[in-house]
This record gives sequence, C-alpha cells and structure tokens, in this order.
Amino acid sequence: MRSLLRRYREPIYVAFLLAAPFAVFAARARQPMGHSWFDRAVLALTAPVEKGIVVVANGVQEAWGSYVALRGVREENLRLRREVLHERAQTNGFLEIKAENERLKRLLEYADKTSPTRYLVAEVIAVGASPHSHVLRIARGTADGVIQGAPVVAPDGVVGQVAVATAHYADVQLILSPVSAIPAISQRTRGRSTVKGVGDVTRCKLEYALRTDDLQDGDLLLTAGGPGFFPKGLPIGRVVNVQKRPTGMFTAADVIPAVAFSRLDEVMVMLGHVPPPSSSANALRGEP
Amino acid sequence: MNLRNALVVLVCLLASILESTVPFLLHLKAARADLLLSVVLYLALNDEVVQGAALSLVAGYLSDLTSATPPCLYTVLAVLTFVVVRLAGSAIKTGGGIQSAAVAFAASLIHSTLAAVLFYFVAPGSEGLVLQFVPLFWSALATAIAAPAVFSVLRRLDAKLVPAEGTTLVR
Repeated sequence: MRSLLRRYREPIYVAFLLAAPFAVFAARARQPMGHSWFDRAVLALTAPVEKGIVVVANGVQEAWGSYVALRGVREENLRLRREVLHERAQTNGFLEIKAENERLKRLLEYADKTSPTRYLVAEVIAVGASPHSHVLRIARGTADGVIQGAPVVAPDGVVGQVAVATAHYADVQLILSPVSAIPAISQRTRGRSTVKGVGDVTRCKLEYALRTDDLQDGDLLLTAGGPGFFPKGLPIGRVVNVQKRPTGMFTAADVIPAVAFSRLDEVMVMLGHVPPPSSSANALRGEP
Repeated sequence: MNLRNALVVLVCLLASILESTVPFLLHLKAARADLLLSVVLYLALNDEVVQGAALSLVAGYLSDLTSATPPCLYTVLAVLTFVVVRLAGSAIKTGGGIQSAAVAFAASLIHSTLAAVLFYFVAPGSEGLVLQFVPLFWSALATAIAAPAVFSVLRRLDAKLVPAEGTTLVR
C-alpha cells in the first residue's frame, strides 16, 4: 500500500490540489462572497502597493499636465470662464426650482426620504485582476462605514455595489457583471424594466420592458428605487437596439451605461440610503 | 518553501498587482492580459509536477482574490490548466517568443471560455450561457503579447537559481 502511494504520489497530490478548490467552489459558489483572515492579510499586502502605483502614475501624469503641456491653457481658461458664467446662470435657475420644490413639499407635508444618505468619496485604485471580472477596488473600507451591498455611484450615474469590503479597501461589483440586476424606469415613458449585466464591458441587457411601452433608442433609464436597491432617479444608461417583436410580453434592447467604467478615478459610496420600508412609511405618516 | 518557489510566488503577486493596476491606468476595457495564466503555463511546461501544481494553485488563488467571483473558480481553473498543459506538454514548444505567444493565446481562449461556462453555471440569477467572444479575443491577444515577457522573467529566475546541470526542472 505504502509503495503504491509512493509510486502514485504525484497524481494523488495533483488530484488533491484539483479536488480541494473544486470542493470549495462547488460548496460556496452560490453563497455571498466574503474574505477570510488570510485573504484580508494578502489584500493588506497588495492593495497599498496597487494604490502606490496608481498614485505615482497619476502624479507623473499630473506633472506632465502641469509643467509640460501648458499650451492652450489661456484659450481653455477663457472657454472655462464662459462655461462658468453659463453654469452660474443655470444654477440660479435650479436654485429657484429647488426653492419652489421645497415650498411644494412642505405644502404636501412630504417627508424627505433621501436626507439620511451620506456620500463617501472613494478613490479607485485598481480593477479586478482577472480580465473577465467586473470589479473596481476602492480605497475605502469598513473602517469608513462601507458595508457589503452599499450602492456606488459616479457623477454620470450608477457604478455598482460593494461586493466585499475589508477594513480599508472594498471591491465594487459593476453593473456590467452578470450577477447584477437593477430595477429601472424610463425617464420619458415611465415604463419599468430591469437592467441586467451580461459580462460585456460596453453594454447591459434590458429585461422585462413591456412591449406596450413606447421604448425608443436613446431613452434614458433611471433607477426605480426600492429597499435594498439604488435610490430612485440615478441615471443608469441609454437604451439602444430596441427590438420590437410582434408577439410576446416584453421588448428586447441593450443599454449603454451612463458611466465610462474604464475612466473612473473617483466614485461615491452611498451610506445609509435605504430606510426600512416600515419606518419610512411611518415617517410619512408622522409616526415613530 | 525554497527560494525559487518564494520568488515565483512573488512574481505571481507582482503579476496580480500589474493585472489590477495597468488596465486601470491605461483605461483598458477588454484587452487585459492574464499574466497569472502565463505563469501557470510556464510552470506547466517547465516545473516539477507537484511543485508546479502547488504554485499554480497559488496563482489561481491570487486571481480569485481580486475578481469577486465565486470562491476558488480561478484556483480550480489554474490547476486544471496546469494539468491539461502538462499532459500536452510534449506537443507544446515555447522556445521562442512567437511560440510562447501562440500557446498563451490558445490557452487564454480556452481558459476564459471555461471560466465563463463555470461562472454562468453558478452565478445567481443567470439565465444561461452568454459568451462574449470579442472581449475574450482581445484578452487572449493581450495575454499572448504579455506571455513572452512573463516567460522571460521566469526563465531568467530559473537560470539563476536552478542548479547548473539542468536547464529545466521538468522530470
């Protein structure tokens, strides 16, 4: 027996090395992702290096931008001044609308459900190591209040949700991931649907959009809200390739995300945005 | 763990860090090189069976750690890739840069397809297999371009550390 074991030592060893991770994979594949203490230790070793590389590269890039590529700064300055004036005029308009909105809210005794939301700005320091992962690593973690499942947004729209978080770093699963599905509403038609990731880095899939909705190419999709999901009204992307079918309940289409994921330097993690349904309902009624 | 194995693990760590940061800094979408796969290929073609399988497991683990995919998906694939390439080893030549690139290209395509199949098989709410061939192709191409460099680093490492009587560890 011992001689047999010695003779087949290599195949047995390799079979074990193959079977052990496969057993873990088969057992835990459908469970929520998490990190063990060892995973955290390795991440604590690699994440600061990743951050350092990004900081140095960005520093070099900024130095280049500041000291070498100064041509055209004067023209750009004038253009920006014009834009600032234009934006100020627009902002004044928005302030008027906001004041009017607040007056109307008070009139309707509307309780602002979004007030507990806090935005935590997080620097993106890396992407998922595998070419097929749809993950961003941010330099914020549980020590900053980041929790698993927290929505992550950018100025252009929805980015994804925190998949796993360590003390100082967190991995954000992008909406492009096949495990992502977001309830959406069309800004124009108000029709509801679901935006699902398919693993493509450029587009998502639109699902459950009723055929009777007048969905058209270019329609902007916003988050539909709901407990456990993104807050209502954040841009997700624009509808393309609408395929009207003569039969069936739903319209097929693609969605081009509003956010350019490969060009994100900072994102915002939303903390405490989802009040429990019962408490928000009570708040609306003015009950404890 | 001897010095050579420790250095291979270090190379895996560096590859993992580069895989995470370079696509981010260069704003690459699909053309992302799988450097850890290149390490596994090198190990399959040049290392001892037991040692190479163990190091492949480490490479797969590092890939898993930053991918937010089901646990051990890439670990399983790394060891499986090692075994398959090892079995086909006698038919595969990676002496030159172009040969290394060709092997890495083919291995990356198969590895990515297997990853996609396994991932969609277990991903919650998945509705079936959806393979995105264009991103797979670009990723394989980037892996093929990067593979000769990874092979070269590991060859140099082996040349310095492996005893003078043998130019390879393969038994």
